[in-house]
Amino acid sequence: MIYDIRHLTAYAYSRPVPFARCMLRVLPRDGAGQRVLTSKLSVTPRGAERNDGICFFGNRTTTLTIARPHRELRIEMTSRVEVTRPAAPFPALTRQWEEVVELALKAQSLAPDSPAQYLYPSRLAPTVPEITDYARRSFPARRPVFEAACELMARIRKEFRYDPEATEVATPIREAFAARHGVCQDFAHIMIAGLRGLGLPAAYVSGYLRTIPPPGQARLEGADATHAWVMAWTGPGTGWIGLDPTNDLIVADDHIVTATGRDYADVSPLDGVLVGPGSQKLDVKVDVIPVI
Amino acid sequence: MALQGRSSSTRVRNERRNALLSGYRPLPGAYDELMAADGTIRPQWEPFLAEWSALTSDELQRRFGLADRHVRDTGVSYRVHGDLDENDPLASERAWPLNHAPLVLTGQEWKTIAAGVAQRAQLLDSVLGDIYGPGRLIAGGALPAAAITGSPDYLRPVQGVTGAGQLQIYAADLGRGPDGRWWVLNDRTQAPSGAGYALENRLAIGRAFPDLFRTMNVERLAAFFQGFRAGLVARAKRVEPRICLLTPGQLNESYFEQAYLARYLGFLLVEGGDLVMRDGLVHVRTIAGFKRADVIWRRIDGDFADPLELNARSALGVPGLVEAVRAENVVVANGLGSGVIEARALMGFMPKLAREVLGEELILPNIATWWCGQPRERGIVLDRLNEMSVSPAFRATGDGLDGGTVLVADLDRNEREVLRTRITERGLDHVGQEVVRLSTMPVMQGGRLEPRPMTLRVFAAATPDGWQVMPGGFCRVSDESDARAVTMRSGVRSSDVWVTSDQPVEQVTLLPSPDRIPIRRIVGILPSRAADNLFWLGRYLERSEATLRLVRALLGRLINADDQAPGHAETIKRLANLLVAWGAAPATPKGRPIAAQARSALHDIEQYGSAAASVREARRTASVIRERLSVDAWRLFGDLQRQLAAPPGKPTSEGEAFEIADTALKSLAAFSGLSQENMVRGAGWRFLDIGRRIERGVTTCRFARHFIENDAPGNCLDALLDLTDSQITYRSRYMLGASLQPVLDLVMLDPYNPRSVAFQVEQLDAEIAALPSLNDDGMLEEPRRLALKLAAESRTAEASRLDRTSVLFFEQLLMGLSNAVAERYFLQNSRPEGSRMTRLA
Repeated sequence: MIYDIRHLTAYAYSRPVPFARCMLRVLPRDGAGQRVLTSKLSVTPRGAERNDGICFFGNRTTTLTIARPHRELRIEMTSRVEVTRPAAPFPALTRQWEEVVELALKAQSLAPDSPAQYLYPSRLAPTVPEITDYARRSFPARRPVFEAACELMARIRKEFRYDPEATEVATPIREAFAARHGVCQDFAHIMIAGLRGLGLPAAYVSGYLRTIPPPGQARLEGADATHAWVMAWTGPGTGWIGLDPTNDLIVADDHIVTATGRDYADVSPLDGVLVGPGSQKLDVKVDVIPVI
Repeated sequence: MALQGRSSSTRVRNERRNALLSGYRPLPGAYDELMAADGTIRPQWEPFLAEWSALTSDELQRRFGLADRHVRDTGVSYRVHGDLDENDPLASERAWPLNHAPLVLTGQEWKTIAAGVAQRAQLLDSVLGDIYGPGRLIAGGALPAAAITGSPDYLRPVQGVTGAGQLQIYAADLGRGPDGRWWVLNDRTQAPSGAGYALENRLAIGRAFPDLFRTMNVERLAAFFQGFRAGLVARAKRVEPRICLLTPGQLNESYFEQAYLARYLGFLLVEGGDLVMRDGLVHVRTIAGFKRADVIWRRIDGDFADPLELNARSALGVPGLVEAVRAENVVVANGLGSGVIEARALMGFMPKLAREVLGEELILPNIATWWCGQPRERGIVLDRLNEMSVSPAFRATGDGLDGGTVLVADLDRNEREVLRTRITERGLDHVGQEVVRLSTMPVMQGGRLEPRPMTLRVFAAATPDGWQVMPGGFCRVSDESDARAVTMRSGVRSSDVWVTSDQPVEQVTLLPSPDRIPIRRIVGILPSRAADNLFWLGRYLERSEATLRLVRALLGRLINADDQAPGHAETIKRLANLLVAWGAAPATPKGRPIAAQARSALHDIEQYGSAAASVREARRTASVIRERLSVDAWRLFGDLQRQLAAPPGKPTSEGEAFEIADTALKSLAAFSGLSQENMVRGAGWRFLDIGRRIERGVTTCRFARHFIENDAPGNCLDALLDLTDSQITYRSRYMLGASLQPVLDLVMLDPYNPRSVAFQVEQLDAEIAALPSLNDDGMLEEPRRLALKLAAESRTAEASRLDRTSVLFFEQLLMGLSNAVAERYFLQNSRPEGSRMTRLA
């Protein structure tokens, strides 16, 4: 598939902000069955000092420094991305999960895709014994790892209620888990916490999901959204596989990856500090349009 | 030092010695530093025992008193972790608990310790270089990647960055086992604390027993700090680098130590907000603009150093610091990421790594450690669980497992099973370790010595001549006799550490030789934050003074209740109203006695304008710039807070309250005296004085507005003269009672009266003119422009035309000047709510 993506983020401040420095992670990345054909980032106010780079995890970053007073910050990303992912392995033929646990511990690499990087609790995906116990029910002894992970994903889809009003960026997963509700970010963090609780490497992915409008209706402009899901490590050879617990989907060509990391904090689209009084208003618009 | 109390006979000395040692028996199964198992005294302690036995118990107590007074006078303090009162952070500071007996070690033994610590520093530095660099140890299988990635101090963004993880200072916590061998208990590579406390312990004990240092040839500490400083200088690109000590701030456990070391080493003490990254360079914000920082000795965790690339939740760091480090424009020491190697998970690998990296055996072994992320090691720990201690493999992040070391032998059956399950399921989070049995050393307890367990922190610094180890250290002694663990939380004392030599030791001081000292008069630059705090210190002090004068004037009139002068009642009403308008007393519920209002204005912390609240604010402001205040000045804050604390029991009488206000005013006068007579007339003093002058000008205007009206009774004007301390001047000039125009002239316009608004304005004009200017276009900066305008207005004004409106005009100009000074010289928006760091998403 080839997609055209447009992602607009606009902040309006009630009072002028004299100085801002921030880190953006909005440009999509290459790799794992995905190729970025073109991409562009435009920023208002113009004249901001801009520094493009690649972070440890291989995500594309942009540092912005705006050293003059401004009342608006507008970030518009447009890109064309080709997605052709290899088929996922047959679940029953993957390694036993206990073996995968031991293999991850023996990893001899600190590379960004090394399973060792994703074994431990992180700030937004901490170890929660209740979540580990919840995950364990899908992981009886010697079950193939991918089969068990798929079942865990399906259970989250079935047993949790999608509710954008229920949680915020800062809601601890403990709360979302206890109430069995949340959004894609919560579900991804919960699934990651469950897998890691068992000793399995799991990563966080941010990106987009192609939405198909109901039959007979036109796609609504700007109505798509950013999305988040999980990658689980299934051992050498089969490697990392994407799992989307919000939709109970094995990630294939409908998912477009922006960034990957240990949890949301590693891929947060905009981090930063601004100095100034006043409040801010945020507006986000996303379009994901399949071209071919 | 006088030799008094020492001329005693051998018999008496032996008796004293026996008394000191009467209860001293080594604990079973532990090594004792002072006494061998057969009860003989180890030879290196003999001169020490001889000295103590030569002193009468009164003299010994007097010597202890000298040491304790040194501790108190220098304000050595620390904060107990998790014991913080947000409203009054200074309340949780503890005086330093000093053990008066030193730890004595022979030079011979020290050689092994020093060699072992230097070797370990070298080893850890090399391993860190590999983790953040080529990763050969990981690829080769000597170190599993998963033993590193669990640490919150493993900083991925500095992977491959020059100097990442590089050690400049290292500390090892040592303990001595029952067989007399020293063991490494912990590695400190993040930002080791304690070196400054070691220095302070030395100064305190040195004051009490100066002769012993000579007779016992105790090794000096100064050379170590010299070496450390030289090591930092050598890392910088510029010849005379600006070195900053980056502190997490005054709420940190060891803030005192940081302020102390900054002063001792001549570094600039800065907080994250003092530094700014622009165009790849790091600068200090000073009153004279940005000044480049070359080296940053950080005492904050690496993770907190840069909210942009590291922990986004950090408000302590410098946004963009990692970028500047990457560009090699600033050196951060220890290198960002150095904390990763503190993880207990790595301890078990050290013997093997020493062979692999250095080709040597470890001189000092570390306690046997098994990381349960490996199947074989996990098996060993589970098999021998009951005889082990189990700890988190990595520093807890606060969100994860409940951290802390447990002695499995102390757990009940149920707890052991829970632990066993945890280790089985996620072994990678745990290590098992041999239970440590520490050695004991003497502490004074009720006039005699008793053995207590201790640990010893030893420091190594990277100098241009290689690793240099401090001959001494930071020794912590437990108050309990359980020799299995010491934590520096509560109930721990600290001892000086003496490394004795057979020969007299060389004297080194940090002072350069006299012929090489370039003459300087005004030293260094003033960071904006320090200027800000000095300014507000001045304002708060002046504000407390005004409140106290108000209270005193009010109570004085209340006490004279039979005064029948016209306007007496009216004056009291106006003074009481002013207290409310000031925020010093609650808006009066009907019938609340005026005396109660006055008491609120003195003691009530809840009233932001009360004297007690202003003094507390002043002290809080001062505590952030403690390294710039003299010990005497600092002590006055304690005095003031004591004086203004509400006495327990029934409320103070009007007379007592009057006395309290009077005493507190004297303490404030003492502070003014100190700052006038003892502070160098540099920029720091100037900002303190500008703060005072602005506040005094503003309060005088407010007093004047409140008491002048065309029909103001003489009694009201009298109160105004009291409040502005101008009563005597007025009487010497005018024979008649207080009347409007002469009073107004004296209080507002007379440039010869040091309490008048005009006098403040003249001083402000001169001081602001002396501040650095950033403009090179010949234009006036805003503070200067306003000060000139004020001076012109006050010089040309006439008393006959002054009314409430024109007084308000002066007041507003002064407030405008205050804002202009803040805007130009301080950190943006640093008042009233502090600079706001907003996370956007």
